[in-house]
Amino acid sequence: MQKLLGLVVALLPLIFAFAFLVPVIAQGMDALSLQAPFGLPTLTFALMVGGAWGLVAQLTGRWI
Amino acid sequence: MNAAKAITPADLSGMSEAELRKLENQIARKYSGRLPWEAVIWAFGNTAVWLSLWPLVLLDVIPLWLGFIIATLNMTLCYLPTHDAQHDIIARKGQKLRWLNEAVGHATTWMIIYPFNVLRVTHMDHHRHTNDPELDCDITSKADGPWQAIWETVKHRQPNGKRAPDYFASLARNGREDLVLLAILYRLAFIAIIGTLAWNGYALEALFLWWLPFQLGITYIFFFLSWAPHRPMTVQGRYRDTRSWKSAVGNIGSMGMQYHIVHHLHPYIPLTQTPAAYRELRPILEARGCDLGAN
Repeated sequence: MQKLLGLVVALLPLIFAFAFLVPVIAQGMDALSLQAPFGLPTLTFALMVGGAWGLVAQLTGRWI
Repeated sequence: MNAAKAITPADLSGMSEAELRKLENQIARKYSGRLPWEAVIWAFGNTAVWLSLWPLVLLDVIPLWLGFIIATLNMTLCYLPTHDAQHDIIARKGQKLRWLNEAVGHATTWMIIYPFNVLRVTHMDHHRHTNDPELDCDITSKADGPWQAIWETVKHRQPNGKRAPDYFASLARNGREDLVLLAILYRLAFIAIIGTLAWNGYALEALFLWWLPFQLGITYIFFFLSWAPHRPMTVQGRYRDTRSWKSAVGNIGSMGMQYHIVHHLHPYIPLTQTPAAYRELRPILEARGCDLGAN
């Protein structure tokens, strides 16, 4: 249990990105009527941007 | 006791250290002992207002932008009642209304994703070790100026920030490692709740009613409760580690922190009584050489 919790905490930036950041980006774009580039579906684009941002935060320890 | 009747003599120059201390304690006690009902109403009222925002926004009774403004105020205001509760000001252990003290503490801190007891243990540690670069768990607020102070609070909330490790170290020093797990569970529960809302189509509501107000509120709290009254955060000692100052946004705008020096000297005085206590204690603080700014 403790190991699992440790793993979850260690992966918190990625978890936050996919749990929250991705739908925020997708629904934010929809609310602003923004189209994703290259004809991508909004959610796919949000997964790419949010996932990449989460990965950077995971690797560097910083969101900004 | 009658708090309105001042007991400070006009001339303190002939008083010994012990006499000054006795007089200081005598004045401070005049302003303590009363149940601060305003903190209780504030705690539950603030939480109730914030909770009511969710149905009001989700049912389109009020717009999200208005909910965001109110939620940011709620987050900013939620810390002070719990601060009184951390110091057992509403009721001490063994007193009849002890349950109310604990209820106020717990009712407010979950909104800013901290368990009440984590804040209580770490805050007492802050009082014991104010401005100690190794042991003050709030030392991450240290900054040269206001903009740097804001940046420091943001920086130390990043995944590699120092505030969480400092708080965990404080809990460990106080033999409360059990609270580390609780603090982590609060954080995970927060992500689970806002994540569930977000994936069910309410991402912007979760963003503007909780996540962003929390970030803005906690920045404001750290700025006015941690940085401003203790700056430059390099000096230690009972009469040196905290100061009084005149805030550009007034006493209410700075959440009563203009008189934080009174709180550090006599933490059993309710927040709402600190301005009056300060005015009466001022000559003594002046005689002690405290940094009183323009107040």
